[in-house]
Amino acid sequence: MKQSPQEKKLEEILRSTKLVAGGFMGTDTRHPAEVVDDDCSRLEKLGLTAARVAARMRELTELAIPRLGGWIEAEPGKLRVKSEDFKGSLVCPWPHQGAYGKRITIAERMDIGKQLVWTDLNIHMIETHGFFEGKGAFFRVEPAEVAQILFEGLKTAQM
Amino acid sequence: MFQAILEFAFIILIISSIGAALAAILVFCEKYVVNYGPCKIIVNDEKELNVQGGESLLTVLREEKIFIPSACGGRGTCGVCKVKVIDGAGPVLATETPFLTKKEQADNIRLSCQVKVRNNIAIEIPDELFNVKEFHAVCAEIKDLTYDMKRFRFDLKDPPVIKFTAGQYLQLLCPQYQDNSEEVYRAYSIASDPSADNIVDLIIRRVPNGICTTWCFDFLKEGDPVRMNGPYGDFHLSDTDAPMVFVAGGSGMAPFVSILHHMQNNHINRQIKYFFGGNAVKDLCMADEMEAFEDALEGFDFTPVVASPEDDESWDGETGLVTEAVQRQFDSLDGYEGYLCGSPGMIDAAIKVFVALGMPEDKIYFDKFA
Ligand SMILES: Cc1cc2nc3c(=O)[nH]c(=O)nc-3n(C[C@H](O)[C@H](O)[C@H](O)COP(=O)(O)OP(=O)(O)OC[C@H]3O[C@@H](n4cnc5c(N)ncnc54)[C@H](O)[C@@H]3O)c2cc1C
Ligand code: FES
Ligand SMILES: [Zn+2]
Repeated sequence: MKQSPQEKKLEEILRSTKLVAGGFMGTDTRHPAEVVDDDCSRLEKLGLTAARVAARMRELTELAIPRLGGWIEAEPGKLRVKSEDFKGSLVCPWPHQGAYGKRITIAERMDIGKQLVWTDLNIHMIETHGFFEGKGAFFRVEPAEVAQILFEGLKTAQM
Repeated sequence: MFQAILEFAFIILIISSIGAALAAILVFCEKYVVNYGPCKIIVNDEKELNVQGGESLLTVLREEKIFIPSACGGRGTCGVCKVKVIDGAGPVLATETPFLTKKEQADNIRLSCQVKVRNNIAIEIPDELFNVKEFHAVCAEIKDLTYDMKRFRFDLKDPPVIKFTAGQYLQLLCPQYQDNSEEVYRAYSIASDPSADNIVDLIIRRVPNGICTTWCFDFLKEGDPVRMNGPYGDFHLSDTDAPMVFVAGGSGMAPFVSILHHMQNNHINRQIKYFFGGNAVKDLCMADEMEAFEDALEGFDFTPVVASPEDDESWDGETGLVTEAVQRQFDSLDGYEGYLCGSPGMIDAAIKVFVALGMPEDKIYFDKFA
């Protein structure tokens, strides 16, 4: 895949440990654009879009914030969520304005005990850049897990 | 036809190779060949530094032993290294704008790590920064406080003593380790007695996938040398007699330990109600130290608050959010001062409660650390 100088620079930043420990690409050897395209088509198959995923993550994060790190049930008996923020802020690896808190949110599908973890920066990167991070990255958000953990209840409710 | 395409591709290749080579030469020259010569930095209209041009303002000032706070080691990613540059900095760079508000830009605030010293520059910095020093120290003791919080004690070697105001913070240098190829600085509040000036204690909470906290918890060992600089910050006890409410969570305990030592050393017996919140009993810490302060300071009362004790934890103290405990114990905070240290979320929540209970906003003190 031919990359423009900007894309090359971006890939360098995403792979570097300049912004976050271990970088954003993990062990993924694909180009970032391929990661984005691949996750986008996975989402499509699951009937989701990056915008919808980001909106759901934000909704759950905002629900959890007032509990200051404690659990709150988003779907009673089924989905619980907690959000904890740490001091300091991070910038997005894409070149634009804005800083994102070091907040970490955990959602747990209670019947199967399966958890999904994301940060405020993940929400932004998914929403604005369609980027779920490379395989093996510490905060990689797996589209299939998003569907299972964040949307399972909604699907049943819609049926 | 194919021949023409090949020739065209060859020409493009040559042109782009020349472009790349020129860019590389430019970067090389900028770094090693271009000599900006001697420059002057005029600080606060009174001090004149004679420096060699070519490096960032942050680096040049550091070489002159003036330490501007910086949390990313000058890589333009933290936005902490702000300095007012009155003259000689050139236009604001794209790398700076994400961190500068319109007002800051109008007030000539710049990121000192992005401003290159190429000519004479005039800057304005707060006087306190002249007291900031770089310390070489040795990690003397690492003590578990909770499952995710440790107290790190450092023996100062060079210089061997530190003078700081209780409530201030230091910047710890996290070196390159494992896959992390960059040095970074991170800020940590001093948790030790200001009169024990040959050591500093830091209370550090592990942050998942955090660059510096992973190093502190998994790599730093007793006996290892470390570097830090400081002190910084203006979070400190006021000099009034007003009663106070402290609210903290997690590593927000740190500055309060230092403030309580300061009060004990100076026989300051103001009324203090200290609420320390955790989600579970396992998040609480330093109960013995707080009890000792209760014995030593007549007006001091420590209230640990547990949001929701876990099934296997026994707890008969205050429960719920730390802010709810404040609301239960006070009908009014009129006349009180509030001191906060913890996560940005906790600070926002506590400010709302303080204000609702009648505490004026200018009597609420905190380092939000955002
Ligand atoms: C004035 C001040 C005083 C402070 N005092 C203290 C103190 O006394 N004690 C204390 O413990 N802390 C204190 N802090 C906070 C401290 O400076 C650090 O910010 C904190 O320890 C985290 O640093 P870190 O390098 O470990 O984490 P960082 O590496 O800077 O950030 C980690 C966070 O980045 C995000 N992240 C990481 N990887 C990814 C990824 N792949 N994708 C998306 N997001 C990702 C996550 O939110 C993660 O939690 C203070 C801060 C300030 C400004
Ligand atoms: S030192 Fe971090 S932005 Fe300048
Ligand atoms: Zn972005």
